[in-house]
Amino acid sequence: MRGEDRTSRLSARQKYALAALLSILVTGSAALAQMSAVPELSGANPPMDNVAADPIPRWVTDDVRKMRAYPEQPPVIPHSIQGYQLSVNTNRCLSCHKREFTQGSGAPMISVTHYMNRDGQMLADVSPRRYFCTACHVPQADTAPLVDNVFKDMIELGVEHAGDE
Amino acid sequence: MTAEPTRRDVLKAQAAAIAAAAAGIALPASAQPVPGGVSALEIKWSKAPCRFCGTGCGVMVGVKDGQVVATHGDMQAEVNRGLNCIKGYFLSKIMYGEDRLTTPLMRKRNGVFDKEGDFEPVSWDEAFDVMADKCKQVLRDKGPTAIGMFGSGQWTIFEGYAATKLMRAGFRSNNLDPNARHCMASAATAFIRAFGSDEPMGCYDDFEHADAFVLWGSNMAEMHPILWTRVADRRLGNPHVRCAVLSTFTHRSMDLTDIPIIFKPGTDLAILNYIANHIIQTGRVNERFINDHTTFMRGVVDIGYGLRTEHELEINATGASDPGRMEPIDFETFKQFVSNYTLEMAAELSGADPGFLEELAELYADPAKKVMSLWTMGFNQHVRGVWANHMVYNIHLLTGKISEPGNSPFSLTGQPSACGTAREVGTFAHRLPADLVVTNPEHRHHAEEIWGLPEGLLPDQPGYHAVQQDRMLRDGLLNFYWIQVNNNLQAAPNNSQETYPGYRNPDNFIVVSDAYPTVTAMAADVILPAAMWVEKEGAYGNAERRTHVWHQLVQAPGEARSDLWQLAEFSKRFTTDEVWPEDMLSANPDYRGRTLFDILFRNGKVDRFPLDELDPEYANNEATEFGFYIQKGLFEEYAEFGRGHGHDLAPYDRYHQERGLRWPVVDGQETRWRYREGHDPYVKPGEGVKFYGRPDGRAVILAVPYEPPAESPDDEYDLWLVTGRVLEHWHSGSMTMRVPELYRAFPGAVCFMNADDARRKGLNQGMEVRVVSRRGEIRSRIETQGRNRMPRGVVFVPWFDASQLINKVTLDATDPISKQTDFKKCAVKIERLA
Amino acid sequence: MLGRIKRVVRWAWSLVSTPAATLSLGFLTLGGFLGGVIFWGAFNTALEITNTEAFCISCHEMETNVYEELTRTIHFANRSGVRASCPDCHVPHEWTDKIARKMQASKEVWGKIFGTISTRRKFLDKRLELAQHEWARLKANDSLECRNCHSSVAMDLSRQTARAAEIHTRYLLSGEATCIDCHKGIAHELPNMEGIDPGWQVPPDLRGEQLPQSSELDALQNWVLLAGQKANRFPEMELPAAGATSE
Repeated sequence: MRGEDRTSRLSARQKYALAALLSILVTGSAALAQMSAVPELSGANPPMDNVAADPIPRWVTDDVRKMRAYPEQPPVIPHSIQGYQLSVNTNRCLSCHKREFTQGSGAPMISVTHYMNRDGQMLADVSPRRYFCTACHVPQADTAPLVDNVFKDMIELGVEHAGDE
Repeated sequence: MTAEPTRRDVLKAQAAAIAAAAAGIALPASAQPVPGGVSALEIKWSKAPCRFCGTGCGVMVGVKDGQVVATHGDMQAEVNRGLNCIKGYFLSKIMYGEDRLTTPLMRKRNGVFDKEGDFEPVSWDEAFDVMADKCKQVLRDKGPTAIGMFGSGQWTIFEGYAATKLMRAGFRSNNLDPNARHCMASAATAFIRAFGSDEPMGCYDDFEHADAFVLWGSNMAEMHPILWTRVADRRLGNPHVRCAVLSTFTHRSMDLTDIPIIFKPGTDLAILNYIANHIIQTGRVNERFINDHTTFMRGVVDIGYGLRTEHELEINATGASDPGRMEPIDFETFKQFVSNYTLEMAAELSGADPGFLEELAELYADPAKKVMSLWTMGFNQHVRGVWANHMVYNIHLLTGKISEPGNSPFSLTGQPSACGTAREVGTFAHRLPADLVVTNPEHRHHAEEIWGLPEGLLPDQPGYHAVQQDRMLRDGLLNFYWIQVNNNLQAAPNNSQETYPGYRNPDNFIVVSDAYPTVTAMAADVILPAAMWVEKEGAYGNAERRTHVWHQLVQAPGEARSDLWQLAEFSKRFTTDEVWPEDMLSANPDYRGRTLFDILFRNGKVDRFPLDELDPEYANNEATEFGFYIQKGLFEEYAEFGRGHGHDLAPYDRYHQERGLRWPVVDGQETRWRYREGHDPYVKPGEGVKFYGRPDGRAVILAVPYEPPAESPDDEYDLWLVTGRVLEHWHSGSMTMRVPELYRAFPGAVCFMNADDARRKGLNQGMEVRVVSRRGEIRSRIETQGRNRMPRGVVFVPWFDASQLINKVTLDATDPISKQTDFKKCAVKIERLA
Repeated sequence: MLGRIKRVVRWAWSLVSTPAATLSLGFLTLGGFLGGVIFWGAFNTALEITNTEAFCISCHEMETNVYEELTRTIHFANRSGVRASCPDCHVPHEWTDKIARKMQASKEVWGKIFGTISTRRKFLDKRLELAQHEWARLKANDSLECRNCHSSVAMDLSRQTARAAEIHTRYLLSGEATCIDCHKGIAHELPNMEGIDPGWQVPPDLRGEQLPQSSELDALQNWVLLAGQKANRFPEMELPAAGATSE
């Protein structure tokens, strides 16, 4: 629901803060406790009103590899793929990321898992079922998350480091 | 499934290691270099189906310290064999959006419920008390038809089944409909009409057998990416394989196509009839097949558009009173009927290239080619969606290309349990489990027997369907309304005129169960925080009849509870005296004074499996709380409907061992191709093919014409609007917009438009514009260079973005037979901001 | 249409083949001169008309196939609003080259009359051949039409992404590759590229060679740049061996 209010979010936050402050002054701390327990159901008010459409953001194109949230995550693409043709005729991604080309292009090689066919056999080249790269790999817009995510990295969980006890 | 024990052994070994660690037993010395020992690195992996689309991929879910920490494609899942799409790979994060709802919320003022008040946290008891009060009052004042529930193809099977029992048997209301009405109703209706039994005859194995794939109004590359990997595998790996894609605009699936066909919205009907005509004219009808296994019918025409009855289009429609009527004809009449649909006529009407149309027709006509037809919302969200479904069956039946490996008309589904819950469980307003319907006295009687209810209890009138529910809410005839597992205020057509006013109607009380604060939740009076996906034990049924069960793997945050718990717990607040008519109770005094929970869940069947049947490795909050294995009980009771009737399910426990099984499961064996001897145990030796769902064992070939859409562009509203999804977001985006990587991949909706159209209208790439229809408008941004390549005169806006509610613009026209909304065709204009 | 052309040609031939009997030599000379001027003007005007996008897309083959594809690309809409139309890339700007290209184009008129690509299927089947003609032409003239707008020396490497700057330095500025090598399909969809190496991969037989520069000025500017780099004015930029040895 937060999407309703993306552009005016900051000001809405400020209003909330102000409202919270006022309620502390007026009704004491009970109101604050209550307010923090209600998720932000902000948005256009009434909800069917029109809000401005955010500008289409630019892509992150810094070519800096982004850490994966967990080992199984498909890496995101740190460059723009606008205008890249990916069809039965041609695959622009493979022209740099294919094993044979990586030395010349300097691009990371497609993971070895992509050489496995449906029956678990390793092939000499990327399996056709992995042909459409964008089904799993996406570029990233240069914008803040709409809502924060509190997902925890597995490496922070359950591991007691030496000397912890 | 030979490798199955291996996986289980591994899981057990892992569990043993964890147990050993917990018990303080020393681990082998080899683990020592890892701080804390290697057990500290271990992740508990369990299987589950993906939470998103109808493909039903198997995923492995990694849990550590009570958190989901990773997910990946399940190597042993037949559907996807290790692959996931971008959404599937990010399942790990969908439960961890910062704004999860963790406590019930109610609109209050001065400490009491007030429809105009602000949301305040309340206890479950307070929420349920107010809900029960409102519900009882509506029942007393207006009766069961004023009570309604809107459910989902994302409900687990148990939840949908519990809901159907609570609504139909408890409150005696058939006003229960799932959001699958917006999604699969046309497909489901056509299956019943043509074959007498819902859901596809084929299965995903067809992908590896077909020589040609034809996509009718489906962008599988984005909406069913993993099935698309199977198409790509087949097409790119086998040079003879061909792929045809039909759509109203060019999209990613066209990137793999050999025969790309762009047609004017709605004219697919003419193309379909042309193909039937082509098959007949070129003498390629499989005559033995049509003589032995089919019957010809003609449908009523001019059937209207499912708008409000006072709309002039409905008043003028001569066939609107009984749109579903069919009458028998013979082959010659059918031949005569489709003979008008020549290549020239189809090309002229559709604007498609005649050469491609002929190549397409030849794919079907060529007896040597095995063809798989695939469709989703392009067909189903269509004012003639049932007809379109019939017409593709016509082609497959005329050529006998059906019910065998590779020859497969295949209706894909959009939701993880559109089949499993919405259709099989029967949560539609007119249905009961296993293809039974509320209008059939024998079917009702059968349900009453299985459910242990007094005879004649179940209501016999179909309830309000999805669009009708919104209209009735607005008109004040539906007053207590509970929405679970969906975001219908964002999903429903013409929502600012037909949906929102009903939610805020002072006569109505609206409850929404959800995991996140969606638009719908925000417009409700009470919000119940829901446990989602692996926070509960669940079961889904995918598009190929595969039932897939998972364990609860983690705990939901705060006070969030599963929809099943909510339904069962709420039922405790009602006694039969309060909800059933007096004459029913006086005739059946044994039922007096009992709670609905006792009637529906503690009925000797649902509660017959004790807690010691639970797998000790996994939590099960609902079972623990109610004191019996409620999921197993519900499943086994539900399975009674289908066993022996062509819908057989395996014993519940087996599903915990398998990566799903395709029904009918007879003698422990799943069925891949229905209606075909040797594959389907219901077809007797010597019968070859039998469409046993219909009394005569024959499938219907239906003669129906092209009819125009409800609204077409004119001088003022000069563009077609098509709505739909994008790869990275699922439905209304309530889960995927909260995963930062998915959000950043497609951060906001845009208006895809033809670049030349935009230039002639003076609209810049990236410019903010108003998308305006006769019903409403949104603000969006022009995109002329994106993945969807629009022809002139057509724009596409996806509906995932809550800040661009495109359904304020869409038209609430439906297929008059299936009552499914047409989200693909209405007229709009695009204007610069003044 | 053809009949009318024939009639006009016959009339014109009869006109010029009949000797003048009543006109003075002076009139004929002056008239001839004026006629020449008018003809020249008309010829060039006609030539210019054929050099517009509107003329190109007056054939539906061009409009529905290649133009439609162009409109979705950066050469149709971009940050600065400078856009390329068909002739910008497909017709040389120099007069002699232009006439040569126009003479080649007479074959395209032939193709139009006989419907060589009159359907999408025919166009798709022929796309590889058509594309190869253009690639060969642009390779041979060192991407002349690209360079009419995109002078390699005028590229601000600091405004390019690091990857683009590096690749341009390594291949383009060194003269090892030309624009079309890497930017095939920049304005239209590609044909089946099976067996065609990625553009940045210079074929083995061409490795170490330098392409002819498109213009003297560009060559001079390039030389200055390379000299500047050698003088360590851009120490962060590493020159590849091929470029360094070929001044």
